[in-house]
Amino acid sequence: MKNGLKLFLGVFATLALSWVGLLLTAHQQIGSLSQFKDPVDETLYPQPLSGLAVQGSMVYQDLGCVSCHTQQVRRDGFGADLGRKWGQRGSYARDYIRDSVVLIGQSRLGPDLRNAGNLDLHPYADADYFYRLLYAPQSVAPGTNMPAHAFLFEVHALAGRQPSAYAIKVPGKFGPGAGYEVVPTNRARSLVAYLQSLKDSYDYPVERSRNASAEKPKEGGH
Amino acid sequence: MQVDASAKWPGLALFGSALFWLLLGGTLQFIAAIQLHTPTFLAECAWFTYGRLTPAAQNALVYGWGINAALGFGLWLMARLSATTLRHGGWLLVAIKFWNTGVALGVLGILGGYSTSFELLEMPRFVTLILLVSYAMIGVWAVTTFSIRNTENVFASQWYLFGAAFWFPWLYAIAQLMLLKAPVRGVLQPVVNAWFVHGLYGLWFVPVALAAAYYFLPKILGKPIANYYLAPLAFWWLVIVTALAGGSRLIGAPVPVWIPTLGTVANFLLVVPVVIIGLNLFGTFSGRYSALAGSVTLRFILLSAIAFIFASILNLAFSLRGFVEIAQFTLLSELRDWVVLYACFSSAMFGAAYFILPRLTSGAWRFPTLVKMHLGATLVGVALLTVALGVGGWQQGHLLGSSPVAFGEITQAMTFWFTLRTAGFAVLLFGHLAFVINFVGLLCPLCTCCKKATADVGQGSSAEGHA
Repeated sequence: MKNGLKLFLGVFATLALSWVGLLLTAHQQIGSLSQFKDPVDETLYPQPLSGLAVQGSMVYQDLGCVSCHTQQVRRDGFGADLGRKWGQRGSYARDYIRDSVVLIGQSRLGPDLRNAGNLDLHPYADADYFYRLLYAPQSVAPGTNMPAHAFLFEVHALAGRQPSAYAIKVPGKFGPGAGYEVVPTNRARSLVAYLQSLKDSYDYPVERSRNASAEKPKEGGH
Repeated sequence: MQVDASAKWPGLALFGSALFWLLLGGTLQFIAAIQLHTPTFLAECAWFTYGRLTPAAQNALVYGWGINAALGFGLWLMARLSATTLRHGGWLLVAIKFWNTGVALGVLGILGGYSTSFELLEMPRFVTLILLVSYAMIGVWAVTTFSIRNTENVFASQWYLFGAAFWFPWLYAIAQLMLLKAPVRGVLQPVVNAWFVHGLYGLWFVPVALAAAYYFLPKILGKPIANYYLAPLAFWWLVIVTALAGGSRLIGAPVPVWIPTLGTVANFLLVVPVVIIGLNLFGTFSGRYSALAGSVTLRFILLSAIAFIFASILNLAFSLRGFVEIAQFTLLSELRDWVVLYACFSSAMFGAAYFILPRLTSGAWRFPTLVKMHLGATLVGVALLTVALGVGGWQQGHLLGSSPVAFGEITQAMTFWFTLRTAGFAVLLFGHLAFVINFVGLLCPLCTCCKKATADVGQGSSAEGHA
């Protein structure tokens, strides 16, 4: 190779090919996925997030939760995601069109969160649970190495006042002690609203076939 | 040498800033590593929460250390191989200042809570333009230096450097556009992100490391690259296929299934160029391993070449469904990228720095012991981390894959591997410190007499020196 122009054109074509072949083609295929209208209850799915949950998703971004948590449920037959109750089914591309920022993650130092707010899977996961998890992770998940996010809370001395309506209950040894209350900040409230909104419980009839275990016939064959 | 004189200040500025980020990024990485087994460490402060420290460290290492070092090495080698000088060094210095300001704002932005949370694009969007413009002002010199070359032939290292110089800004600009400026919808975002991450490692860090290997092996061993006629084939095959392999990071993800499949096929096709490059590099090495004793550069380059092969094997393994099912989302996937960034790329840059820096300053490394310590720390650190991330990740994957094991138990079982990982980063950090002290010693003209007394440990014999 002696010709600089040829080298340049080759270098250009290399990336152009992959951009067109991978990104534009994918965009062409699924760039305009729309909500699905359920014929029975005439509702559009996936349902949009509440305003507070959208704010919470920004807190999720800024705290870098994606460093340890994925938000993608692998389908049956590929990993133990369903066995771990991380979802009732594998995730579909359509599930994500409600999210303005899609963070499917690449590390499971912590559990998957795609269905963190799904009470059918985790009946205990109410707002109080998430507040305690954020304030003192060990109080609800013994043995975890999740860092405490106490900076999302304010600790006030009660000094004889009534505690705030928002104050959370922290079990004895994890709390600041008697005479103090722990109140979540707005950031904590929106983050918890976001976590509670995380559930893909609707199963789209058009996509159901994709979620069928591809492994099963093969296993039967052996 | 005129090349060395013309590249002196830009080269020193780039390597100096690179080393600053190497230390800072390494320290942040070390703190984050401690938090995995001691979660209370620095947890009270939002700026140092694990979720922010990790991307801040990674960005400091990739954009601060990685790109500064690659540019310092790349500009010097481009001028050297084009038999010309690096022109307009003053402009370069300005651009380098801007680049590093951008990285500093970006890292602070992540720690301060402006992270975008897209892998390797976490820096807040206001630094994008600073980075792109200042990169253009630095990268353009690689291209102009190439276009005013005074040589008939174009060497393999030049193809890789020339390509990398273009690929990074295109990848970065497209990813910024499609993720932050005019975001694509839904799972296309992870697709774009995977394409960018794979491109950054495969079309920037790997080519720069290979450029170093293709240059220093024949240079120091004094013999041509073995089977060189195959090198152009390997180059085009490697880069075209790597550019298409990004989807392999999305096996099992909720994306159209052809995307990971295309990536998997691409990764299998990569076997051919990797074998050719292996023949080129190890064929040149063969029979000359005794030369390792005389050259620190050569030893780092050998480590880098081995890491390149290892990274390619890991890449292939991450295309096998059975392996991915276990290894995905574990420390093993961290290992995959870390091997490229550290063992392959950073080792090559250390080797290059030990060769280039004394020539730029017309001095010699003042503390030969520190050079040995750096090499030793790199070897020990790489071994520790490979074991911690590899074996630990494998165990983590098996535990994650058996649903009766509660999540807290997995974390407890991993404590040993997390601790080993911290030890690995600590050892590497120690090596970096030794390197930085030596670099400062090289810059300080304090005692010129002891410089003469010290043997040139970077390159044992002077015969291979300034040729």
